[in-house]
Amino acid sequence: MKAMYLANYFVAGCVAFSLLGWIASLHPMAMKAVLFLLAAIAIAWGLSWLLDYSLSKLLKISVADLQALLIGGLAMLLIGLGVFICS
Amino acid sequence: MQLKLFVLSASSVVLWLIPLAALDKKLDIHKALQGVSLCAAIACAVSAGNIARELAEESEIEAMKTRAITADVVDEIAVSAYVSQQQRQQEAEAILASPGEDLEASRQALEAIYSADLPEPEVTTLATASEPTPLDKSLYAEICKSREVGKTNTWIIENILKMKGRKFADGKVKLQELLSKFEGEA
Repeated sequence: MKAMYLANYFVAGCVAFSLLGWIASLHPMAMKAVLFLLAAIAIAWGLSWLLDYSLSKLLKISVADLQALLIGGLAMLLIGLGVFICS
Repeated sequence: MQLKLFVLSASSVVLWLIPLAALDKKLDIHKALQGVSLCAAIACAVSAGNIARELAEESEIEAMKTRAITADVVDEIAVSAYVSQQQRQQEAEAILASPGEDLEASRQALEAIYSADLPEPEVTTLATASEPTPLDKSLYAEICKSREVGKTNTWIIENILKMKGRKFADGKVKLQELLSKFEGEA
């Protein structure tokens, strides 16, 4: 059941990134905004990956959990945007 | 609950993929439908995730309860074993701490019973003496116990006085003698 709950949140994340792509497709300005948001997400992701030990202490979770979250987030982004772009 | 969870999970995937892949792009409401279906898909997925999390927590609690019950049962068994061991130990200590006369009498009675040459010793000369011997006492105690349990005189003569068959009549006499001796004393 835990796998089910993780899978559902993963799907929710994927759909959220697809929705972001859909918003980007509405207007050129929206596209710029979404690209800016994606750039910010990428920077935050990279920093989190580099500062994983201090961030894990700050969030009070283990480093492995933090890395799993980061990899899961990246997978959500790739799958969500990939599905939207390929459709 | 699980059915709801599965329906929500499936519908979230369907609402995510079908409008993106299968919707006709020439339609005017194409973009709007995509947006609505993506929002609905997010809602379904989050709801399903919440339900699954609740179920996972409940199953975890159930597992904890099962573990606690198992531990209780194991503990109870260990405690009962310990208590029975302590009781046996106390009984043994009480026997050892009992007065020396009783021990001596018991020892003599046991010796008298087990030192007989015959494999099934007959009680031939027990009740003849006027002074009751320790063996008489032990026999009388056994007879009393058997009577309390509800055993018949025949059973007592055959199993306690060990006088079967041709000697049964003698046994009957000896039983009467024993009873009259001790009950007369009382």
